[in-house]
Amino acid sequence: MPPRLVQLSVNGRAHHTALAPNTTLLYALRDLGYTDVKSGCEKGDCGACTVLVNNQPINSCLLLAWLAEGQEVVTVAGLGNAEHPHPLQKAFVDFGAAQCGYCIPGMIIAAKALLDEHPQPTDEQMREALSGNLCRCTGYVRIFEAIRNASADLNAQE
Amino acid sequence: MREFELLQPKSLDDALDALAVGDTAVRPLAGGTDMIVDIRARRAQPDVLVSLQNIAELRGVTRENGSLRIGAATTISDFLKNPLLLEHADIARQAAYVFANPMIRNLATIAGNIGSASPAGDMLPPLLALDAKIKLVSKKETRTLPLSDFFLGPRKTARRSDELISNLQFPISSSPCGTAFYKLGLRQADAISLISVAVWLERDGANIRDVRIALGAVAPIPLRATRAEELLRGQPFTESIVQQAAQLASEECSPINDLRATANYRRRMVAVYVCRMLEQAWKNS
Repeated sequence: MPPRLVQLSVNGRAHHTALAPNTTLLYALRDLGYTDVKSGCEKGDCGACTVLVNNQPINSCLLLAWLAEGQEVVTVAGLGNAEHPHPLQKAFVDFGAAQCGYCIPGMIIAAKALLDEHPQPTDEQMREALSGNLCRCTGYVRIFEAIRNASADLNAQE
Repeated sequence: MREFELLQPKSLDDALDALAVGDTAVRPLAGGTDMIVDIRARRAQPDVLVSLQNIAELRGVTRENGSLRIGAATTISDFLKNPLLLEHADIARQAAYVFANPMIRNLATIAGNIGSASPAGDMLPPLLALDAKIKLVSKKETRTLPLSDFFLGPRKTARRSDELISNLQFPISSSPCGTAFYKLGLRQADAISLISVAVWLERDGANIRDVRIALGAVAPIPLRATRAEELLRGQPFTESIVQQAAQLASEECSPINDLRATANYRRRMVAVYVCRMLEQAWKNS
């Protein structure tokens, strides 16, 4: 089956690109330059590849790219940048939440989805929301601290 | 990854047309959380995937005539959010809460979990405990089976290659009933079950009017512990009979040694958790 021209909407931008049917959203995104989306296990176990599709966190390694057409995809780069960081990004930096950094994009996306649904999450809700994002470096302590603070920060802004 | 054709039918009819060829290399694709992993691992080798993403007929949860009907495309996350499911399928909600991880739950569907038929599938014991029936559709016919007849072996089901799972149905109890579910895993989340236990019971004062005990990950298929159920049915709820039933249940299953646990450990844990889940279900009734 030949590649098909597919329209993907990523971080508010429209992309038209030819994709083979067996291309996952993970690789489609990385090939479009969104290398902030990381490949980890490619099995849906580690969460490194997590992106938002229509505001829902999913493993981009398991979604075929053709099936993401017509939906809103958000990667961590779409939340903010160094000049204008999202409160989550700022908190992750301020609290030293990253060591090697590889799990971090997935962690921030999962945290964004959490705060969208529960602006003031309990610890249990937070742990549950991040239960699909594995980190081998940090032991999660500062990641959770960063999220708690970002949540307080976002609530203070309202 | 293996090359395949990806079809995106817009209606149930079109999807069934695509499957009508009856070729085992033509497979339906729902959430993809098992299929894509299996393709990468070369356990599945489809030539054609038929995406069910746009098939409206497979979606929706409705209550009709004292039964709950759950569309095949209902995601595991829906079991944590949908008001009808929260009200009438709490035992399935308990399994959904510990199912894989949040991202998987947003993609994975109930029919996918059933169709994959892993012996350790987490939604399967709750659905067996609810006495669910499964509806299968194809161009040729529509048929309904008890879910307990659907599982034939590890990853083997009664679904023909030209069929789609359309929905699940189970009766809503009008008497006081209680349910409980437990998944034993090597960690709190993102884990495969060592064992799982689902208990549903109907109470009549101090007696067990009716009871269903379903076990997962301890046999080639998820199964009901029917001898344990027979012992309990109609009896007063006592510690002694619960212990006996739990012991019987542990004898009714056939666990294996694998990388996660030994058969011996699993068998002993079945006894422990059937006991605890009977007590919990009784408390909830």
